Amino acid sequence: MASVTIDGRTYEFEGRPRLLQFCLDHGIEIPHFCYHPSMSVPANCRQCLIDVGALMRNRATGALERDEDGAPIIRYMPKLQTSCSHTLSDGQVIHTRRTSQKVAQAQRDNLEFLLINHPLDCPICDQAGMCPLQIQAYKYGPEGSRFEFKKTHKPKKVKLGPRVVLDAERCINCTRCTRFTDEISKSHQLTIIERGVKNYPMTPPGMTFDEPYSMNVIDLCPVGALTSADFRFQARIWEMSSAPSITTTNAKGSNCNYWVRDNLVLRVTPRENPAVNEFWLPDEDRMAYRRFNEDRPEGPQVRTRGAFHAASWEDACAYAARLLRGAGKRALFLASAHAPVEDNYLLIRLAAAVGGRVAGFIEHMEPGHGDGWLRTDDRAPNSEGCRRLGLAPVGAEMLREEIASGAVGALYVLDDDPVGAGLVRSEDLSDIPVILHHYHTTNETLLSADVALPSATVAETIGTYVNEDGRAQRVVPAKAVRGAHRTLMMQMGLSRADRHGTPFDRWHNESNLINCKPGWEVLPMVARAAGCDFMDRGPRKVMREVADTFEAFAGATYKVMGLGGHSLPPR
Amino acid sequence: MATKAGDWRSYQRVLLPPVRDLHKLSVYGDYAALRKVLAEYSPQEVAGIVKKSGLRGRGGAGFPTGLKWSFMPPIKAGVPRFLCCNGDESEPGTFKDRQLMEFNPHQMLEGILIANYAITAKTCYLYVRGEFADWITLIDAELAKAYEANLVGDNIMGTGFSTDIVVHKGAGAYICGEETSLMESLEGKRAYPRIKPPFPAQSGIWGYPTTINNADTLACVPPIIKRGAEWFAGIGAPGHPGPILYGISGHVNCPGVYEYPSGMLITDLLEEVAGGMRGGKALKAVVPGGASVPVLRADMIDGVTMDAGSLKKAGSMLGTAGMLFLDEDTDMVAFLRRVTRFYHHESCGQCTPCRDGTGWMENLVTRIDEGEGNLRDLDLLLDLCNQMEGRTVCALADAAAWPVRNTILRFRKDFEAKCRSSMWTAKTVA
Ligand SMILES: Cc1cc2nc3c(=O)[nH]c(=O)nc-3n(C[C@H](O)[C@H](O)[C@H](O)COP(=O)(O)O)c2cc1C
Ligand code: SF4
Ligand code: SF4
Ligand code: FES
Repeated sequence: MASVTIDGRTYEFEGRPRLLQFCLDHGIEIPHFCYHPSMSVPANCRQCLIDVGALMRNRATGALERDEDGAPIIRYMPKLQTSCSHTLSDGQVIHTRRTSQKVAQAQRDNLEFLLINHPLDCPICDQAGMCPLQIQAYKYGPEGSRFEFKKTHKPKKVKLGPRVVLDAERCINCTRCTRFTDEISKSHQLTIIERGVKNYPMTPPGMTFDEPYSMNVIDLCPVGALTSADFRFQARIWEMSSAPSITTTNAKGSNCNYWVRDNLVLRVTPRENPAVNEFWLPDEDRMAYRRFNEDRPEGPQVRTRGAFHAASWEDACAYAARLLRGAGKRALFLASAHAPVEDNYLLIRLAAAVGGRVAGFIEHMEPGHGDGWLRTDDRAPNSEGCRRLGLAPVGAEMLREEIASGAVGALYVLDDDPVGAGLVRSEDLSDIPVILHHYHTTNETLLSADVALPSATVAETIGTYVNEDGRAQRVVPAKAVRGAHRTLMMQMGLSRADRHGTPFDRWHNESNLINCKPGWEVLPMVARAAGCDFMDRGPRKVMREVADTFEAFAGATYKVMGLGGHSLPPR
Repeated sequence: MATKAGDWRSYQRVLLPPVRDLHKLSVYGDYAALRKVLAEYSPQEVAGIVKKSGLRGRGGAGFPTGLKWSFMPPIKAGVPRFLCCNGDESEPGTFKDRQLMEFNPHQMLEGILIANYAITAKTCYLYVRGEFADWITLIDAELAKAYEANLVGDNIMGTGFSTDIVVHKGAGAYICGEETSLMESLEGKRAYPRIKPPFPAQSGIWGYPTTINNADTLACVPPIIKRGAEWFAGIGAPGHPGPILYGISGHVNCPGVYEYPSGMLITDLLEEVAGGMRGGKALKAVVPGGASVPVLRADMIDGVTMDAGSLKKAGSMLGTAGMLFLDEDTDMVAFLRRVTRFYHHESCGQCTPCRDGTGWMENLVTRIDEGEGNLRDLDLLLDLCNQMEGRTVCALADAAAWPVRNTILRFRKDFEAKCRSSMWTAKTVA
């Protein structure tokens, strides 16, 4: 097999890998800015320099040439090479900055150039704290600057589109953003304008940067030149904690991180997963975070004599149980494509325990919304999970007829809004008791509900979602809910990079805590209140039971799913 | 004092011959060299003749033309191949291609057609600097006549060989003269030079095999065909033969473009061709090949001839043979200030060292020129040269660094005289 020597160590390789990627894959750090593994390689930042040599061989015999001491002679290329664009070939001798003074100096020189016209406004820059320029300048850059002139001035606070704002002075012209629109999203909505040191990215005349994937350039930008119109100046990076999760605005289940401070989700960024979304996230997934913070219900409610009253969880569950018992066989359950597999499974078990029937789940299709990439026609995250549990979409007509014929003695709705979804009208529900698990006070079915049980959202719960392609993925809580729950707290501790939240993050104080509970906690409470033999075992064990029971979930334990998900066998 | 140009005084011009109205097809004639090539030679033979002639590129780098043609990969069905003629002439002090386009465009067009034949290209893009609007109009009109006469286009002169010439107008950026940047520009993109490898012969215009040559280089081809490779190889300096269009400017009595054999003594060009220094002043410096090549002090040009070898020994380069003569009154700091301004203005801004370094250099030289500079600025400038050279995608950063380095090193006194004497400014001392 072919091999190269990097900093004195020999590595084997196959094919023709690019040196920078090869080094990154092998844990060798090489400072760089413009290179991105999924895009073309323009080698324009000139930061990733390395020294490349080859062993000299005798032309005729092919034997290694040696000096007087018998050491092989290495001939180095006259210029330093950019490792991002350098393809490895057998026998090369590579020196990175770790073993070459020349390379280290060249990289220091380059950082000096990068900084002379950079505004260095880190104290007010959104990128500070996770900025490749800042980090690499501190690690490898020169001390101070020899530049004693006025920096170039360029436009600031330019709204490129509805969601992306440019500060051209911070731009280091790496062209990652323009390459993204040219090569990945293919919207061609960004281009570099002007020349030389005045260069900056801009939309072509008459265009706005409004493509559905525009916000990806914010993550791609190695400096704070491209910022989110929405998140700009909302929080410093180090004030937030992030939790690995998935997005739930559609059935793709793109992997993401939820960034939280004081128990409010402030932004959503993509999390790399080659099997799902690679490095990208549609704007709709990022902009949908407010629903974790706003219009949230304050604890369970029960309707008595026509009016809604706050109730304790125990009382609310007991009332729900009474209504279910009263309905007996006529209790009808609606599963949810918004709820995780665990909750839906427990709903099926609850229905069986009280002798009722699960009608199916409510589908949320929006034909024409999908784009064959990361947006889908299906606007709910777990339709596939419901199907794999043997559930089918509920038809509006069938449901209305059933209600009209008096076959429904109580309607139990998990995490959905049948009225808002147009499945039934409020009038249809006026005569039957309705038990509703809900996320938001805007839920239109609330008006007809007799028991309202606030649900933990994807940002607060533990659970499994199955995307359109049959990939089962776990979520962990990014923010806390009111009332201590050991499982949630432990998972949250584990999921947050810092385990406790930063000193700037008051996640444990009472403000912004929502009084809600995950389905897998509430459903067993209702079941027990109804006198059923139902153990509260936590989501991990529930999922194991699902994996053991359903062929369609074979192998999907928390351990197997990990953070990257698990591809389920075809259904 | 040995000129390599032999009996240059009796040299007969072939690129810009003294013929009235040569730019007209009727005067130029009907492409005899092309006719000869199509009738007598295979493409390989044409490339062989050019290789034997020793012709080296006139675009600045002096690469052997025949060798460049031979880099084209074997012909593959369905894979188009292109020739590109670089007429973007924008290097300061260079104005030779312009003369060709004005006075002898057909020789360039004929050269293009022969090169197209030699590399089996069906299309040549002729990229002309946009400011040459008048000559573009002229070339368009003359090209139309050539098409009419079936010297270009389908089935040329009934030989079965078909090829097209497409004239493309540049939009005023120096960087578009860099070969890969020119291709990006042709493709309708931003003129950012590409990283090499891959070289144009592997992946040029739209990713297809492409050969690119300077307009002057291609205009040399018809005479080579007509008079033979030996004739051409016998003109001027052996390692760098052929006629050279010397573009002479600066403080001389008769500036202009002069066609003479390569290997002319710089002193001959100054005294006998350009009529000596204006007002009888003494020579101070010569930039022998366009603004980017290292400047030579007057005392460095004794016996130096205009060919790659001799100039290299003297510490400079032939470049485009655009010669700038500066007299004793010249302020070398002001000169360098103008040069750095040019490269600052023309850097495409793709690579960090060039984008930020060129501007910094201009800042520093301007400060020195205005009497505000410090001695340590000179060392900083030399540092910046080191930090830019050889670390960029294209050679513009090198072209920007060479004049800075060499003007400072060769005229350090001029610079020191303009700097404050100590590295501390008056203010800090007080
Ligand atoms: C910054 C830069 C500018 C250039 N400008 C020109 C130009 O204006 N005209 C030209 O013929 N070659 C120019 N060149 C050289 C071309 O890249 C290329 O080497 C040349 O066209 C090849 O032709 P030749 O082999 O016939 O010399 C430039 C090179 C660089 C690096
Ligand atoms: S805005 Fe950011 S991503 Fe775009 S070129 Fe500038 S530094 Fe690169
Ligand atoms: S060296 Fe300068 S002109 Fe050439 S590609 Fe880099 S930035 Fe552009
Ligand atoms: S990462 Fe290699 S040049 Fe930018």
